[in-house]
Amino acid sequence: MPEEQSQTIMAVDELQAIVQRCQILEEADFKGEDFNLFQVAGQKCLEDGYAAQLLEVIQNEKNKVIIKNMGWNLISPLVRCIFMYKQEDDKREHCLKILDQLAELCNPKELFLSLLEQIEQTSGEQVCQTVMLLLQPLQTVLLKLQNKKAYSVGLSLAMIMNQLTPLPVPYTKQQIEEDKLGLCQCCNAVVDFAKPFVNELVKNMEKSSEYNDMELKEELLKFCMKSLKYPLLTAQLEQLEGIEEHPFRHFATEIVDILWDIKELIPLVFLRHKDRSPHWENQEFAEMEQKNSADSLACLSYLIFVQHLGIACFPVVFSPSYLLQCNMTHIEVLLKRTEESMLSKGLDLFESCLLRMEDDSLLHQYLEFRTFINVPQDLVKVMTLCPIEHLRKKSLNILQLFIDKFDAEGKYTLFRCLLKTSNHAGVEGYIIKNIKDQIHSSLTKACDNVWFTGHHLISLLDLVLMLPEGAETDLLQHSDRIMASLNLLRYLVIKDCESDNQTGVWTTLPKIERNFLKPLHVGLNMSKAHYEAEIKNKKENRKEAHSSNTVCSVTVGGEKMPAMTTEMQLQVLHSALFTFDLIESVLARVEELIEVKIKAVMDEHS
Amino acid sequence: MRKRCRPHRRDGQAEPPMEREHRGGARRPGRLGWRGRAGALGARRRRQLFVWNPGRVAGGDLPGHSSLLRRSRGGKVRPLRVLPSLSLPRVPSREPPGICHVKFPFGAGKFPVRGLCKETMTTDEAAKGEGEVQAVALAERGEDITPARDRGVLKIIKRPGSEDESPMIGDKVYVHYKGKLANGKKFDSSRDRNEPFVFSLGKGQVIKAWDIGVATMKKGEICYLLCKPEYAYGSAGSAPKIPSNATLFFEVELLDFKGEDLFEDGGIIRRIKRKGEGYSNPNEGATVEIHLEGFCGGTRFDCKDVKFVVGEGEDHDIPIGIDKALEKMQRGEHCVLYLGPRYGFGETGKAKYGIQANAELVYEVTLKSFEKAKESWEMDTKEKLEQAAIVKQKGTMYFKEGKYLQAVIQYGKIVSWLEMEYGLSEKESKASDSFLLAAFLNLAMCYLKLREYAKAVECCDKALGLDQDNEKGLYRRGEARLLMNEFELAKCDFQRVLEVNPQNKAAKSQISVCQKKTKEHNERDRRIYANMFAKFAERDAKEAASKTRVKTAAEKPACEKGPETPGAKDEEAEGHV
Repeated sequence: MPEEQSQTIMAVDELQAIVQRCQILEEADFKGEDFNLFQVAGQKCLEDGYAAQLLEVIQNEKNKVIIKNMGWNLISPLVRCIFMYKQEDDKREHCLKILDQLAELCNPKELFLSLLEQIEQTSGEQVCQTVMLLLQPLQTVLLKLQNKKAYSVGLSLAMIMNQLTPLPVPYTKQQIEEDKLGLCQCCNAVVDFAKPFVNELVKNMEKSSEYNDMELKEELLKFCMKSLKYPLLTAQLEQLEGIEEHPFRHFATEIVDILWDIKELIPLVFLRHKDRSPHWENQEFAEMEQKNSADSLACLSYLIFVQHLGIACFPVVFSPSYLLQCNMTHIEVLLKRTEESMLSKGLDLFESCLLRMEDDSLLHQYLEFRTFINVPQDLVKVMTLCPIEHLRKKSLNILQLFIDKFDAEGKYTLFRCLLKTSNHAGVEGYIIKNIKDQIHSSLTKACDNVWFTGHHLISLLDLVLMLPEGAETDLLQHSDRIMASLNLLRYLVIKDCESDNQTGVWTTLPKIERNFLKPLHVGLNMSKAHYEAEIKNKKENRKEAHSSNTVCSVTVGGEKMPAMTTEMQLQVLHSALFTFDLIESVLARVEELIEVKIKAVMDEHS
Repeated sequence: MRKRCRPHRRDGQAEPPMEREHRGGARRPGRLGWRGRAGALGARRRRQLFVWNPGRVAGGDLPGHSSLLRRSRGGKVRPLRVLPSLSLPRVPSREPPGICHVKFPFGAGKFPVRGLCKETMTTDEAAKGEGEVQAVALAERGEDITPARDRGVLKIIKRPGSEDESPMIGDKVYVHYKGKLANGKKFDSSRDRNEPFVFSLGKGQVIKAWDIGVATMKKGEICYLLCKPEYAYGSAGSAPKIPSNATLFFEVELLDFKGEDLFEDGGIIRRIKRKGEGYSNPNEGATVEIHLEGFCGGTRFDCKDVKFVVGEGEDHDIPIGIDKALEKMQRGEHCVLYLGPRYGFGETGKAKYGIQANAELVYEVTLKSFEKAKESWEMDTKEKLEQAAIVKQKGTMYFKEGKYLQAVIQYGKIVSWLEMEYGLSEKESKASDSFLLAAFLNLAMCYLKLREYAKAVECCDKALGLDQDNEKGLYRRGEARLLMNEFELAKCDFQRVLEVNPQNKAAKSQISVCQKKTKEHNERDRRIYANMFAKFAERDAKEAASKTRVKTAAEKPACEKGPETPGAKDEEAEGHV
């Protein structure tokens, strides 16, 4: 024990010794050796738990010059010590005080580097803690910096955000409340950290726009863009019940406010700002930058138009079509992603833009913008391939909204496009149902609609009333589409008399019979015979099948599905037969209707 | 190679007539002509008609109504006179949009009365804030400025403009404005943002009422606009500020406007006289039919109908600026284009038209029709290779004539067609690589001529990616880097040239130039790179570069006088295929 004590005292003594020696020296006369001795002694004091004594040394007025020059050396051991002690430990308190003192006393440039170094070196679970610990001194130091302040602020923010980026973003309510790694808290602390610089910029902007301020503006802008991409793009930003101050919503609000304050919000949302960022000599960097900013801008639009952040000061004179057009690029970016957080943001943004519009008000010319053709196709991908059910459902609703907003020609073009590109019988069936609805409203409403009657309609019907591969088409796979087509045809022959022939269906009937009804008959007969034979086969081989020799296995989402029993296989085969029966009955009904009508007309003539 | 311009309509049917410019207006049934019947009587009759006309659809914009009631109760003197008139919208959901509330948007408590009583209004007029009175007057005396004459947008000029000129379609217009709802609630003001609002006129960027209204204004004018929901946000409203079926009131000041700066470099300014149809534009390589008239210094030097391929206007003595602008025009558009020298006939001028060097030109162009060129993804490999040979020849022709911008377009096509082409047979792949190599090398040369050195380096990099020991690629990259003041890198390139071909004297002399330059800048560099802030270093270097660029540009001719003249080199590149 005494030995240990003497050791510590030695550490403090050593520190005192070096300090006393330096007290008499001029600033310029400090040698590298002195720096080393000071650091070693200081570190030893800290390690041995004599933070209080160290604090005294630092606070001593006589040591001011020494601390100014050498203090930054202590940051690294100090941070280590602070994490060693428990929250309520007195020694921790001393250490924190030392940190404050150093921020006040040290040469800002040196200390700045040493603080950044600490942030750079932390990793994993300690990142948020370290950042939050050092933000305050970092801010103090930055505010004191004379030169290259804007650059240093930017460097700090970039470093911090880079360190945070690998951390997982809490998504569920529980995760947000728990905030295991402290990310929620940390993000908001970072915004607070940035605030004085924003204020400074705003103040300067009011006075004049000097080059130096442009620099600070660029840096803050970069920080905002980065924050929009991470964590905001991946974060859950809906209001959550039971959480009063949703940390990410708060963070998002602050970011939008900063953008507003530095007068970048509206340009970001509305101006395609090419060549704004400094020219990258390297093409790859430029592309990366562009891709990053596409994500960030998409997130920003989501915040403004869906979450209504910052909307209070947003111009309210833009036309809804223009808002949709501006947002289409962002929607496209988001819908191409597979993460739930981004897909749902994309769908929400799309929905909110569409809800601003009146039905039938979107001009078909907008389809000349490539995004207006691409996005519905992406939407179809979401609704057919996305594993998350509520997103699939939502995307279907949005597709309907999108269709509703177009004028007749737009709807017509969109239907053609989707029929050709969706490659999914369910979607095709859905489009065909929509075509039926449009024909219905054309026939029942007084307004003349050239797009869903007459020759335009006929060319659309050519796409609908046919089998993709003739009689060999897999009827089971295409059953949705075939049923919808038959329903449409049934509707047409009931609704439109041969004498009127408003839709033109009677003119094209021979073609329909050739391309659709006849091959469908053949296909049905073949399929039924095939499946019936298969059933018979299965039943006969039932016993043998028990000694299962599975030909292949099916995996879904990486999991191997259990092999089907013969019973299950029979069930499937039977349900297929049932579908064929259903198709056949509707087909029979349609043919009957056609026959009756034609006969009626012939009777009339004779 | 060509195809119809509307890719989505594959049935090849005839285009429908375009008549949807102002749909909102056109869809509404024609209304009685109220224009010219000003005065209280007219207004009252109008009001009644609206109320009793069951055909009118108007959502119940009740906030305005109820707040009006509240206010009138607060007013001490005149509630009795108010209430009878308030009984007008007795059928609340049939309340006419626009007329009833809009009479009162700006008043405080006692305000509503004035609008309803002509006699008091005239006496009050002087005492009240101007805006309030104008708001009332709008509904009664405002001029209907809608093309459909349906009173959807009413306008009163508060302060006439200082100049007689109005903005044209596509112009960038600067306005200050404030907007209020019928209940008097301000929903937006550019003055609160302390920044003028900027938009492109007549492009559907803003609500219809604005595209119509601002187009009628003169520079410096302040006016009031009263906008029916059909010309604003309609039944959908605009969350969160504009409710469904809201009539909006605006005060707009037209601060300034200017022609559209097509490439944001001031080189081509466009002012549209007649808007085109739709949103699709000719692309590079599209065949266009245009009518054009060219002016220089007030005299017309050219007037013709011409059909040509975008990017090859030069063949018809049409400057590159027209090609570039055409890519932003729509079918049927008629516009005036102001071309800076770079986009005009440049430093050489045009003797044929008697145009001097560096002349500014004005063109009036009508895009009569166009057929888009196939996009890269629409062509198969065979087609691309065939076309590549053609455009390469064209590019070389332009290069020899010193028309580098045009040459870049042609060589650029090869890159866009072939750079990302996959699944080629061995033979095709060989041909493709050789086209690409030639294209990159020639592009690099063009960019050197155009003094776009970063782009030149990029092209060389790509050429060297295909053939890492390509002598011309290395030499040109060296040249570009030297001109960018990257002496060390330049020296490396020239040394590599010598490794490939020890006989290259030009490279030898370039190396000594590099060494000289390096020495000059050594001291400076040492200081810069010693700094840990690498970014600052870069910035400083750039500053230095811009300072010395003038110097190097002066030395440039000397660099070109190598034994291998650039022109000769280019022809050699051509021989690659």
